Amino acid sequence: MPNSNFKGGLKIENPYPSNEIDLIRIPLPDKVVLPMQQRIGNQAIPCVSIGEHVLTGQIIATIDDDQCAPVHASISGTVTAIGNHVYAHQSGLKGLCVTIESDGKDEWVDTSIGCTENYKACLPLTIYDKIRISGIVGMGGAGFPTHTKMRLAAGCKNIIINATECEPGITCDAALMQAYPTKVIRGVEVLLHITGAEKAIIAIEDDKQDSINELNKYCNNERIEIKVIPTKYTSGAEKILIKTLLGIEVPSGKFASDVGILCLNVATVVAMFDAVVENRPLISRAVTLAGSAIKEPKNFQVRLGATYDYLLSFVDLEEGSHKVTMAGLMMGINLKGTDYSVSKNTNCIFIDKAQESVVAQECIRCGMCNTVCPVELLPQQLYWYSKSENIEKAMDYNLLDCIECGCCSYVCPSNIPLVDYYQFSKALYKKQTQEKAEIEKARERFEFREMRLERNKSERAALMEAKKIALKEKMAKDRSQKEKINAALERVNAAKIDNIEEDAS
Amino acid sequence: MINAISTLSVLALLFGLGLGYAAIRFKVKGNPLVDQIDAILPQTQCGQCDFPGCKPYAEAIAKGEAEINQCPPGGQEGVDALADLLGVETLPLDHEHGETKPKRVAVVDEKVCIGCTLCIQACPVDAFVGSSKVMTQVIADECTGCDLCLPVCPVDCIDMIEIKPTIKTYVPTLKELVHA
Repeated sequence: MPNSNFKGGLKIENPYPSNEIDLIRIPLPDKVVLPMQQRIGNQAIPCVSIGEHVLTGQIIATIDDDQCAPVHASISGTVTAIGNHVYAHQSGLKGLCVTIESDGKDEWVDTSIGCTENYKACLPLTIYDKIRISGIVGMGGAGFPTHTKMRLAAGCKNIIINATECEPGITCDAALMQAYPTKVIRGVEVLLHITGAEKAIIAIEDDKQDSINELNKYCNNERIEIKVIPTKYTSGAEKILIKTLLGIEVPSGKFASDVGILCLNVATVVAMFDAVVENRPLISRAVTLAGSAIKEPKNFQVRLGATYDYLLSFVDLEEGSHKVTMAGLMMGINLKGTDYSVSKNTNCIFIDKAQESVVAQECIRCGMCNTVCPVELLPQQLYWYSKSENIEKAMDYNLLDCIECGCCSYVCPSNIPLVDYYQFSKALYKKQTQEKAEIEKARERFEFREMRLERNKSERAALMEAKKIALKEKMAKDRSQKEKINAALERVNAAKIDNIEEDAS
Repeated sequence: MINAISTLSVLALLFGLGLGYAAIRFKVKGNPLVDQIDAILPQTQCGQCDFPGCKPYAEAIAKGEAEINQCPPGGQEGVDALADLLGVETLPLDHEHGETKPKRVAVVDEKVCIGCTLCIQACPVDAFVGSSKVMTQVIADECTGCDLCLPVCPVDCIDMIEIKPTIKTYVPTLKELVHA
């Protein structure tokens, strides 16, 4: 077992333990609400219209952007609305969504065409394109389009499959691995075929013994290695995982692809297998439902766009006011209510009994945040600079290297929401950088316009000047010609007079 | 004695030559203060400061011909930054020059536009695309929201639309964090 010897991190007990991890299939939802804005990239543009009948797996929105994956209909039925709906985002802002009402038939698009079992006969480029049009994004939470990640990591030596699932309480990846161990292994084989990488490592934390056993049972490829690492929170953060497994440190500001490594989440691999071999685009995912207000934690394989309320109807929910968390206790976000829908990166929904909100106290400079920070930053300094909106200084302390894991907020005795401050600083930095670029562009364009007007003016003046000179020359020429004509006329006249005189004489 | 005088003279000559060369070689082009002031101004090029653009206003400030509080798009923050740069007392924003408005972008009503090209001539950043008697369009990314196209439009077909924050551009406020 490799040492997870990274500094900091936390050992956190699973707050919602369960005896059995099982992936439960639930009936089709009556209605799905599919958000057009995915976690990164530009907003996809719907290519269906209201009233149109769509089939499961049909592309309903796309955009020509590397950072964006197409969106597919997750059920068959009729498009009933294309409009704004609240997103599962801390801002509570609305964004464009496509609503489809089910016809209950779940009619699929033709899934017989594609690479199928004989994917090895396909060119890697063909498979890569299949992944692109299947709308696959990183399903661990980041939501980065897989095809772009693979393009960036072209020619990589190693593949790491992140099956650590280190966030406490989330079990959807474990459930997925137990339900589809062959898909995981075969999916990795597909990856090895496309990338030509030497080997692939599947990394799992040692508390998922059942998943490890299942995978070991089906893994008979010497290029695939299943590595068990100690359970410690943030072991699954990409850069930390790479360091644990391979001893390679990814430099600040660089990505795994820059050091020749392709790192994908295990759920992404399963989705990719479905896309390549079964020709089914990404239309469903595993979601963990847990929390102190839910009797038994459960994992559901659910169609994307299903509403939270629909999912919650399958668990025993205690009455009362609830605190809703999406995407984990440590890195997730708190939501108001449950009027949201499952998106590609919704790995869990936690419903807890509402507690009195804790009030943040002043920082007492205890330094506990410094000791737990797994990326060895100085959270306290970052906090002060973020609080005073001194973004430049925060950047000096490598603000952008913060992985927002939440360890510092977790241990803070003053209950300061430290990560929220860093998110604020990062958002402000992004905004300021963009504004600066816009200002620079406006200045350039203004100065260019001034230059152009000036140039037009001087060109016009030069043109007028040239015309004047030409006219003068012409006139001068005219004058000399006139003189010549006059002289000729005079000569003629003189000759005439001479003739008359001769005649007379 | 003569030695000392000649040595010092030679040294003086050498240093003099060196300084003379440096003065030509490293001559600062333009007024660096103008550029520094221009860097703080928002580059809206709206002319609300009574100067025909941000650069002319920056030049006027540098010469001491204009107050630092005449730029509404820069807001109070901009005035403070200018005061900080120039080492003078900050002033409240002069509201006679206009109010600070959120960032906006010009949108042309396609049905109404007659293609008169007056807005193209008025735009300080060439954000309009069009030609005589054809519909004009705005390059949204280039528009600074300066309002200069509004008065020249003979058919009132330009609207200034406020740019609302989206999920991608959302920035939480510190106040929200304190209450979280």
